[in-house]
Amino acid sequence: MDSLVSYRESDSDTSLQTSRGKRRKIDAEPQSSETAKTEVKWRSESAQRAYSLKLVEALRGAGQNDPPPVPSGYIGGRVVRDVADRVLAMAAKGRTRWSCAILASRLRRSRLRRHRKVKKQNGSSIRPRKPLRAVERKVKVLSRLVPGCRGIPVTNLLEEAGDYIAALEMQVRAMTALTEILSGSLNVRLGS
Amino acid sequence: MNMGLPEMTALERQRAKLLEWQEEKVAALFQLQVHGGFYNEGGGEDNGVSTLYFCHGDDGFMGLREVSNQCNTIDPNARIEGWGQFGNIEVPCLGFGGESISRTASCPPAAVEPVSCGMLTEPSEKILQAPVRKDGFRKRKAERMKSTKDCKEEEREKNIKMYSNENDSKLSEQSNCNNGGDKKGSKNRNSTPKKTSESNSKDKSIVSDVQKTDYIHVRARRGQATDSHSLAERVRREKISERMKFLQDLVPGCNKVTGKAGMLDEIINYVRSLQRQVEFLSMKLATVSPRLDLNIDDLFSKEMIPAWSGGFPVMDMSAELTSTAYFQLHPMHQAAPSSDLEMDIVNPNTSMERWSSGFQSIYSLELEQCNPTASAANQSLQQYTGLTELTSMKMEI
Repeated sequence: MDSLVSYRESDSDTSLQTSRGKRRKIDAEPQSSETAKTEVKWRSESAQRAYSLKLVEALRGAGQNDPPPVPSGYIGGRVVRDVADRVLAMAAKGRTRWSCAILASRLRRSRLRRHRKVKKQNGSSIRPRKPLRAVERKVKVLSRLVPGCRGIPVTNLLEEAGDYIAALEMQVRAMTALTEILSGSLNVRLGS
Repeated sequence: MNMGLPEMTALERQRAKLLEWQEEKVAALFQLQVHGGFYNEGGGEDNGVSTLYFCHGDDGFMGLREVSNQCNTIDPNARIEGWGQFGNIEVPCLGFGGESISRTASCPPAAVEPVSCGMLTEPSEKILQAPVRKDGFRKRKAERMKSTKDCKEEEREKNIKMYSNENDSKLSEQSNCNNGGDKKGSKNRNSTPKKTSESNSKDKSIVSDVQKTDYIHVRARRGQATDSHSLAERVRREKISERMKFLQDLVPGCNKVTGKAGMLDEIINYVRSLQRQVEFLSMKLATVSPRLDLNIDDLFSKEMIPAWSGGFPVMDMSAELTSTAYFQLHPMHQAAPSSDLEMDIVNPNTSMERWSSGFQSIYSLELEQCNPTASAANQSLQQYTGLTELTSMKMEI
């Protein structure tokens, strides 16, 4: 009977934890491998190549799906950016908060923004009780910069920031190369 | 009533359910571990790791048993470094745990003990010296300092309990282990609210997604406070400093600045500049986006590969890494010789310079720029649409 009772107690605890934990289970990795893997993952050429290809495909699809306001086939800058961010988040395979946030934000974007604006107005009217220290303020700013990292502790935030920075670097490299190629080919055609 | 008889049957039913459930969970967990990179994906140097992959296709139970056997043979010889080794120790628990349900609980710990007993003393010391990287495992935290024997027991319990959070099938083990060490168990459970309260100090309202079960097993070093709070603080500080070091390597120019605030400043600036670069590049890409369909053959043939390997032009510069500097050098580096594209590039370039000065003046300035530079009708339209999107992007931000 005792074992049964204790089983039930632990069951309730751990079931809650598993339900929450399952969501974080994917993130649960040893830190040493995590940081090394981050570097390897985003710095490798194969990753960049894969990203570029997916980006090109996605951009082509974006141009065709939404009927463009300009019939000449130009895709808007913001559309390109959203597509690029989404492809980047997919490349992250959903292991990080920011990637999940990017993918999720696409679905409920406008509603969230409205709610957030309302909340922001309420929050700013109340003064913070104690003045935040410089480090804490900067942590807050950083948490706003990295998508989906608003209410998380500092350690997780730094981890996410590291991964996000590496991913952004790869994104910039890939897009730079892509624009270079596209504009370069344009030059070739005009020149010849 | 019905209370007398169903007690037995309920127990049996639960056990049967547990067995099935546990089989599923074990298989799922196993696959998740393999897929989720629980062990080093890229650098699976440990032999124990590689065996996991081989066992992937097997039936959950038998595969795990083989793995545990293999890990048992490898463990005594391998050195302990970091948590990969720790991971090898855990697997035997998992393998044995499957059988434990039908038997008494004393079996698995006893089975685990001869294997890992010799190993456990080392990890307990390695924990202190090696930088703590325990996010991957949810471990129980020691409330007070204990003798080595207690630490061993706790580690064993911890090893077994590690999966209790992830694998419900371990519950019976845990509960049965707790029978012997009920006090410890209750203490460890009591440590939960303390730990969460500490971790909540920095949290905002939403806590549900935060790892509440982030237990850490530490021991106080000689000459240091043994208070549980200070222990937690020290662990947390070590974690933070470790990650700051990693970020320092990642962000250029962070080597000169010391201290958290300065480094955070650099990090924030760098992230902002990267995001702006992405926006700028996306706008640039948008202007050449019709070429996507046409040039796809050229892309694959020759030009892609050297372009990919051509690193990151912005990263090479080491001089003042202000955010404006990032942009001024970058588009100039890339300016195409053709007159068509110069128009496209010049406008964003100057507009980027304006960005840094102030956001409110952007809109008016860019409108000014639109008119004089528009030569052909197509170009003006293209620039205008590009720039209005730029302004709308900035207004949003």
